[in-house]
Amino acid sequence: MTQLTSKVCVVGDFAVGKTSVAERFVTNHFSAKYLSTVGVKIDTKEIEQPAFDMTHKLVIWDVAGSDRFGDREFAYLRGASGYIYVADGTRPLTIEAVETIQSQIGEKFGAAPSVLLVNKRDLVAEWEISDERFESISASFDGAFRTSAKTGDDVDAAFERLAHLIVENELRGK
Amino acid sequence: MNDLDQLKQLLFGAEKQALDQIADRVERREVRTADVAEVLSEAIDRSYREDAELVESLTQPVGDCLQRAFRDDPQTYGDALYPVMGPAIRKSIMHALRNFTQQINEAVEHSVSPQGLKWRWQASRAGIPFGEYVLQKTMRYRVEQAYLISRENGLLVGHVHHEASRIKDSDAVSAMFTAIQDFVKESFSPDRTGRLESADMGDFTLWAVHGPHALLVCVIRGVPPKRLRADLSAVLERIHFRYGEAIREYRGDTSTVPDVEVELERCLRFEAREESEKDRRLVPIWMIVLTVLLLAAAAFLGIRSWTHAQQLKTLDAALNAAPGIHVTDIELDGGDFTVRGLRDPLAASVNDLAASVDIPIERVAAKMQPFQSLQPEIIAARAGQLFDKPDTVQIDVVGTTLVVNGTAPLAWKEQLLAGFRALAGVDTIDLSGFTDAPDPAAMTVPKPDEAQLLRDRLETLDGRRFLFDEAVRLSASSMSALEQHAIALRQLQADADQVDLSLVVTLAGATDGVGDIAANARLAQRRAAAALEVLTAAGVTAGVAGRPAALGSENGPLQDPSQRYVQIDLQLQAPPATR
Repeated sequence: MTQLTSKVCVVGDFAVGKTSVAERFVTNHFSAKYLSTVGVKIDTKEIEQPAFDMTHKLVIWDVAGSDRFGDREFAYLRGASGYIYVADGTRPLTIEAVETIQSQIGEKFGAAPSVLLVNKRDLVAEWEISDERFESISASFDGAFRTSAKTGDDVDAAFERLAHLIVENELRGK
Repeated sequence: MNDLDQLKQLLFGAEKQALDQIADRVERREVRTADVAEVLSEAIDRSYREDAELVESLTQPVGDCLQRAFRDDPQTYGDALYPVMGPAIRKSIMHALRNFTQQINEAVEHSVSPQGLKWRWQASRAGIPFGEYVLQKTMRYRVEQAYLISRENGLLVGHVHHEASRIKDSDAVSAMFTAIQDFVKESFSPDRTGRLESADMGDFTLWAVHGPHALLVCVIRGVPPKRLRADLSAVLERIHFRYGEAIREYRGDTSTVPDVEVELERCLRFEAREESEKDRRLVPIWMIVLTVLLLAAAAFLGIRSWTHAQQLKTLDAALNAAPGIHVTDIELDGGDFTVRGLRDPLAASVNDLAASVDIPIERVAAKMQPFQSLQPEIIAARAGQLFDKPDTVQIDVVGTTLVVNGTAPLAWKEQLLAGFRALAGVDTIDLSGFTDAPDPAAMTVPKPDEAQLLRDRLETLDGRRFLFDEAVRLSASSMSALEQHAIALRQLQADADQVDLSLVVTLAGATDGVGDIAANARLAQRRAAAALEVLTAAGVTAGVAGRPAALGSENGPLQDPSQRYVQIDLQLQAPPATR
């Protein structure tokens, strides 16, 4: 069984739940308490990729939220193998922030596997992203998920999808 | 050849010839082999440079070939690898032993000192082995961990650490260090050329050495010298030389940087702290004084103990060498001796023997049980006492023979001959060295008759006294003497019968002056009766006197052991008075 370590960056606007989805994926835990991330927070998680006979370790860089990235944020993203874009389903503007950031990253570092997480799916009453909007934005990513860090819905699926894409990409690169 | 063939020959003659040659080359194996051999090395080289497929294709077959070759001919490959394997193994073993020895030495050195005890307590509180804690306290520095990090993406390329180091998630540490590095660069370096080179935290120092493609971060415990940075830079340069391209392209696949940990191991340096002058100063004076006092006390006790042991040995030898004494135990208690064992009453006293080897008699207590010794010296002494040996006679015992030398009257010799068999341990008598003493009277007066001879013998045996050590128990020596005396009396009675005379034997008990007269009279009677039993058992006809020979009233109210006896009186009578 081979081993691979990949850098994955979690990006998005303020308070969309980046740290929460990362924590849900890494520790299967959710905290309702909001703590703003300063700079970057780093976690790791090892997953199995039976399709590739591989143990895959994800080094997850949870980058502080911003609707537009500057040099400091870009420094954190350097060399990433894939991106987790996170938006808030109750705040349509965060979708626009994701589009902006995606555009910036594409210009700066080129194409890389990426998935979109429209988070806070558990807040059904406050959900403001229509299915049409979700479908249209999904086309810009290699995968899109309506997730809830609180309930854990589709969080693992989103990360595993990205991990799968990264491995495929790395194997193609070889 | 028809016209068509001729036409073919004209039109395609040269081509056909070429085709024939090609067909010939393809069909002939040796030619094909030569052709392939001609381009093989060039083809391999080109394929290797253009893509990695050749390596993948060859990995399995080459591996199988090597495996089979090693299996079939291990000696050859062992010899070939020996120059490489030997130094590698030695280096590995030396490295492990050096660490082990270092820890053992430090631990032993500090295990019993006050500081060692303090460190032991602190180590237990910190939850780490004592040896490891001592090492931490006594080293100048130690590189505990080394991270090789890709500068491009912050991924961990390689990581090594000291065995005892506590390791967190090394990938997370690597990423976080890169993030901090980026943060510092973006925040504090306007032109973004600055870089974080060291950080201090508690007992640890982090040193970062920057290379073109990788960052070498070392976690160091203690205070590292400046020259260490140069050494670490050299390691990083070597890594770049060997893996530079692989690190530049590194995407998390460690198989692209094989054995990079071997290079990183060079970073795990260690240096012990030099002892300061204070540490090296001489032992405090109080410790010297205390040591001297302790040594003096130990020497005194040692000499005393040795002297006592020597005295014990000497006393034991003296007692065991003395005839008639058998020592079972000598107890030594603070310089006093208690001797236990058996002692013949004819043997020398324990105190006299102790005094003869310069041991004060007040330090010797004898707890001896009486017994009859069969050692030659004691048998000889017993014979001398029993037969009242004159000074002109020497008695010895050789084996079971009583050897008598010297001169004595015939009567004494006859008494000896009559009674020597009563001596335990004696079977025969040797009188070859004995001569009868000339009897002046015998030369001038007629030889006395048988009755006179009997009277002479009677005189030597008459009036003997035998001491009691308790109420009615004869002392061991008295019992022995009484038994000998009974034998002599029986013989005398028999001889008296031969000449129609009667030997009257009368026993009379005596007591000391303690107690009333009536009680003493009864005790005297009982003593006489006890002695009578012995005589009767030996075949002697005897009787007890009507009244005690001596009573307390005669000696006053004093305790005199010499008055506890029985006296045997003899008398020859013409007509038998009592039989």
